[in-house]
Amino acid sequence: MKRVTGKDQLPIGDLKFCWVIALRAEARPVIKAFDMKIVSNKLLFPVYINSENGHALVISGIGSVRSAAAATYLKTLLKINKYAAWINVGIAGYFKEPIGKIYQALKVLNQDTGESFFPGLRFSKFVSGASLSTVNKPEIIFPDKNLYDMEAAGFCEIAPLFSCNELTYVFKVVSDTPGKTKSLLTKTVITELIEKNMGSLSELVGAIGRLVEDERERLSIPREIVKITEDCHFTVSNTHKLKQVYRKWKTVFPDRSLNDVNYPLTSARALITRLEKELLDEVKNWKLM
Amino acid sequence: MIETIYIEEEVIDHSTTKRILKNLPRAQIIEISRYQELFNKRHQNFRLQKMNPGLILAKKHDNFVLPVPPGFGMDAQKNFYFSHMFNCLYDCRYCFLQGMYSSAHYVLFVNYEDFFKSISDTIDRYADCSLTFFSGYDCDSLAFEKVSGFAKHALDFFSKTPSVELELRTKSIVTSSLMERDPVKNCIVAFSLSPQKISDILDNKAPSVARRVIALKQLAKGGWSVGLRFDPLIYCSDWENLYSELIADIMEGIDPANLHSVSHGPLRFPKEMHKQIVSLHPDNRLFSFPMEKKGGIISYGPEIEDLMSNFLQTELNKYTTQNKIFRCTV
Repeated sequence: MKRVTGKDQLPIGDLKFCWVIALRAEARPVIKAFDMKIVSNKLLFPVYINSENGHALVISGIGSVRSAAAATYLKTLLKINKYAAWINVGIAGYFKEPIGKIYQALKVLNQDTGESFFPGLRFSKFVSGASLSTVNKPEIIFPDKNLYDMEAAGFCEIAPLFSCNELTYVFKVVSDTPGKTKSLLTKTVITELIEKNMGSLSELVGAIGRLVEDERERLSIPREIVKITEDCHFTVSNTHKLKQVYRKWKTVFPDRSLNDVNYPLTSARALITRLEKELLDEVKNWKLM
Repeated sequence: MIETIYIEEEVIDHSTTKRILKNLPRAQIIEISRYQELFNKRHQNFRLQKMNPGLILAKKHDNFVLPVPPGFGMDAQKNFYFSHMFNCLYDCRYCFLQGMYSSAHYVLFVNYEDFFKSISDTIDRYADCSLTFFSGYDCDSLAFEKVSGFAKHALDFFSKTPSVELELRTKSIVTSSLMERDPVKNCIVAFSLSPQKISDILDNKAPSVARRVIALKQLAKGGWSVGLRFDPLIYCSDWENLYSELIADIMEGIDPANLHSVSHGPLRFPKEMHKQIVSLHPDNRLFSFPMEKKGGIISYGPEIEDLMSNFLQTELNKYTTQNKIFRCTV
């Protein structure tokens, strides 16, 4: 694996997809497909990124707690934005064949606590859906018609806090069924199971990416505002108010910039008043589009 | 199209559930314990969820019938509303539902019989009063009718209680279930309307105003009482001409006897709800307007509100009598 520079000099860029994966064997095809590089082997959890295409990945190890911890670690280490999508991919047991089929988890049940999670928007065009139970030791009986894994509940409990529930996704590939037990699963087999579904996963990333863009646009702070609040010392309250008024003003006057306002830009209060006045002056000619 | 149906275990064998599942055979079914497991939870994103909401079939346990807020009703002595459904198929930019819930999933309470029992009890309790029951407060009364069949049940019930009124409020043109039966004289089918130019911008996924007007005229012609709801009134340049033309268009050819009532109300939001909606759509010009805040309510302010209200009043007086016109104040 190629190595990125030390974590103090991380070329983080605009990370839009955060993968949380239990096993290296599961992660390998994802790392390869999105051309990610390892950040450092000395971190608490192995982390990979590609700042060009916006992908980051953490290998959590097995278990719900580890999955939640690794997601939190990735969020903190790379200062992931609120509009990023969080994706948990891995293998799972299922009550029926075929082995190798990928599912979107529509309901994730923490078997220990009884708590349920309902991650993501449904993508039926690309993938079938199923309920999933997260258990704390490997399931061999499959008592319900659910997928069985050991991480998703922990991941689903924490990831929506970093962005939102609709940008949190769990995809599982069937690896073992009542007829085919886990003991036959080698690292190579696990990698192949994920690898064979990279086509579907890439399509899903495309669809999720459109939601990410939508959220990014909604949450974005206009460059003009970033610059002016960096250049001038405004109070927190005035900065907040300015952001609100500026966004309205920019919606109404999309072709104008603050340079056109012809007002001293060093006083937040004066600028806010000026923008509010321009909005008021526009009321008589108010357009809805 | 509904792709996923979440069903509370308690109602999985309910006759309404079975009928709905028959109508949506391709949807995936997920069993849940209670609808609150996935509805209106923290860290949900209404705007994204609205892109592909699921249907939740649930049981309502209490608060079947509630008094409407003061200033909402018409001229009945007592006004009540009931919500057999939360959320709407449409995505109107001014709708309070987007600020009310963090979820865009549709919740349908399938135990209709409990609603009618509670309505019946309310009628008995206020036997000496004139009563109106409003449907469509937290949803559109007819938009989901092909799946829910609720309006049919409601009409069956209210046709047997002629002393009280039912209002079905809608933007839907799915009126076939009404047209197929004799008019229920104590039912008002009230259409929410805006000028077409405004509706084109703000009433996402809703039928065009022209089609709504055709539907309401067909119902009126068929002997149904219809209501006109210009609520919220939306301000923009040329609003006088737009509303004047809309009202003239609607009134042309309607038998005044079938026009039950006309109401209008200003665009207004509780402060917190407004904040939530603006955060979902920060770049929408509807919310860029320099609104006024008074008493915890965000609105255009009294000057514009009175101007629009007086104008509507004058226009409506050309076609109908004053006693049929109501101004909503909440």
